[in-house]
Amino acid sequence: MTAYEGVNGTARPAMPRVSVQFDRAGRVYPPEHGLVARYDVEGVHPESVRALERSVLWYTEGKGEEDLFVHHFERLDNEPLPGGDFPSGTVTVRLPASPLSYEGVIVKIRWCVRIRLFFASGRDFVSEHVFDLGDIAPAQGIVERLT
Amino acid sequence: MTAATPGKAVRNPFCTRHVHPGRMPALDAAGREIDLSRVLARLSEINGSAAIVGPHGSGKTTLLGRLADVLEAEGSCAARVRIGRIGDALAVLAALVRGRRGSVVCVDSWERLGPIWAHAIRWCAFVSRTRLLVTAHGVGALPTLWECRPTPAVLRALVARLPCGDTVMPPILEADVQRAFRDASGDIREALFLLYDTFEARARSVREAIV
Amino acid sequence: MRLPRFFGKKRGHRRTGSQAWGSFGEAVFYAALVMAGVCFAALWMTGSLGVGSDETGLPWARWWLWLSSLLIPGALLTFGVAGLVRIVRGWGKSEERRAAAEGLATLIESMAQSADAGWRFPGVPNCEDLVNSPGTILRYRLPIESPESWTLVGLGLFAVLWNAVLVVLAVGAGIDLLGGRVEWVLLAVIVPFLAVGVAGVVLFVRRLFLTTAVGTTQLEISAHPLLPGKRYDVLLAQGGSGTFKSLALVLEVEETASFRQGTDTRTERVVIWRELVKEWADLQITPGIRFETHVTITIPEGAMHSFASEHNAVRWRVVVAGRPDRWPAFTRVFPLVVFPAPGPLQSGAPTPATTGGVRL
Repeated sequence: MTAYEGVNGTARPAMPRVSVQFDRAGRVYPPEHGLVARYDVEGVHPESVRALERSVLWYTEGKGEEDLFVHHFERLDNEPLPGGDFPSGTVTVRLPASPLSYEGVIVKIRWCVRIRLFFASGRDFVSEHVFDLGDIAPAQGIVERLT
Repeated sequence: MTAATPGKAVRNPFCTRHVHPGRMPALDAAGREIDLSRVLARLSEINGSAAIVGPHGSGKTTLLGRLADVLEAEGSCAARVRIGRIGDALAVLAALVRGRRGSVVCVDSWERLGPIWAHAIRWCAFVSRTRLLVTAHGVGALPTLWECRPTPAVLRALVARLPCGDTVMPPILEADVQRAFRDASGDIREALFLLYDTFEARARSVREAIV
Repeated sequence: MRLPRFFGKKRGHRRTGSQAWGSFGEAVFYAALVMAGVCFAALWMTGSLGVGSDETGLPWARWWLWLSSLLIPGALLTFGVAGLVRIVRGWGKSEERRAAAEGLATLIESMAQSADAGWRFPGVPNCEDLVNSPGTILRYRLPIESPESWTLVGLGLFAVLWNAVLVVLAVGAGIDLLGGRVEWVLLAVIVPFLAVGVAGVVLFVRRLFLTTAVGTTQLEISAHPLLPGKRYDVLLAQGGSGTFKSLALVLEVEETASFRQGTDTRTERVVIWRELVKEWADLQITPGIRFETHVTITIPEGAMHSFASEHNAVRWRVVVAGRPDRWPAFTRVFPLVVFPAPGPLQSGAPTPATTGGVRL
């Protein structure tokens, strides 16, 4: 697989593909449990990648401003990137006790593994892979609007 | 409360992640993307300060943000300031003083400054030969660069551009868009919030039916 | 020395002017109010304002003008100092956080913890403020979210102070009238003062009657924080007098989401789960004898824990809603904190790889 694809005779950068395999069924993790996620990056020239960031974070989604908290962060910018971390590598982290993943109505909490690639051209590419921390029941709907 | 089930996440395309002003395109009344180069050319013709006007939720902040992005890329944007407190007026003044001749200071929510600060800032812009690009609800002392007019076509075009998310979930219909626009009295932002509720309620019904 | 950054970048394309400049500008404004108050006070003290003075040049002759003039510099100084104090306290904090701290939700918002070292539950409000008041029968007495007593005290103070000034003005006007002098300006000032003073007294008395007639509501609980799947004893104590058409104790969960909408911050609050724990009808309360009863609340298994971040929250609370006979209905809210349930899930086999959504 080459890093560039010709479209109508013109060359343009191909979209990288990042796949992540989680070590738990259904991607559901208990609180304070270990998470091991293996990622594979395809469709890029190794020489074109200047740095790689891998993080585990939660963010809110819904009708409010997005809040975000990074629980685990690593940046790899040795050139070339170590063979054990690119194009495949592993994110290993101990998850916290909270906040648990939550499927509310106007507030949702999502946990994810993010892989961000930085290219020599200055562009970057982000791939996000959601998992569940805890097994909280979704909210069933709005009982009453207060405001 | 029901037991948790795998795949329970509802990716609502109308969440703020997708409909925040910084994430949305700037559209004209027909729902087409605004040609920013034409707008900036008009700003050059005005050769001074100007305002983007329109009612609540009509896309003024979005358009200002997009124009500021282009100006920044050209090196012409001195600062972006959103007026929320009294002290933000000082931030605008400082930007005008520091800005190069001909650069643009983008100010969101111009009316919040009040007449005294507005006059002071305009005078400062005149003296420092910098320009102001502001958003306002109505036509005022500054010439109008662009008037944002919310229409159902704008809302329809924005909805069409949102990520479709889980294809199992029911789509948002044209009738939903019309109703949201009507119920929100033309406030596009409010209409998007109403569509959030519509999508969320419908998605839950579908999910419960699946379970 | 590090000067305040002029230009602050937030996430992505969102930028605003530097918060430091904004706070500095506000501080300058309030400092100007303080200076104006000081200058005004100095000017009328020295008679330079020509308010009205005797042959010494001091403003003693028109004593009521003297009193009225005191209010202007006093107000300027009060607003100026209060503003400066607020800025110093809020330096470095976001606008939404300041707005939340100034509102009725201070109790909960101030408890929100980030993932500081030593706090085991990131994103979960800690409940120190909820467990520092022991109960008389059960372990803890829960604080009320928006104490009516503070409203009563505030109204009372306002009514007393305002009417004190009014009485002084009225007595002085009366003395002048008896002395054959008619101060029309003074009388014109007294009229609006009187209207506001009477309104203040009426509001205070009405609130006082409401509070004493309806009585206080107290809630005690056997343990805190709470956990999903557990039951807790709750003691409800309702004071007052007369008949309550109904009194209900409800357990509910509320979601709160704040969004910066143009020039304003828009906050939406919805109740996403509610359980009527107990309801009493035609309740007769004898003055001096509180109605006391024990109930049990259960946090459902698998329920979401309490959560608070800068713009979003999930809150648990007990709501006591009463409909007294002959008085307006009331609602009193007692916040709770529910922690995540302890214990791991069953382990499972590795999952197939996922190729997630991409974004440039």
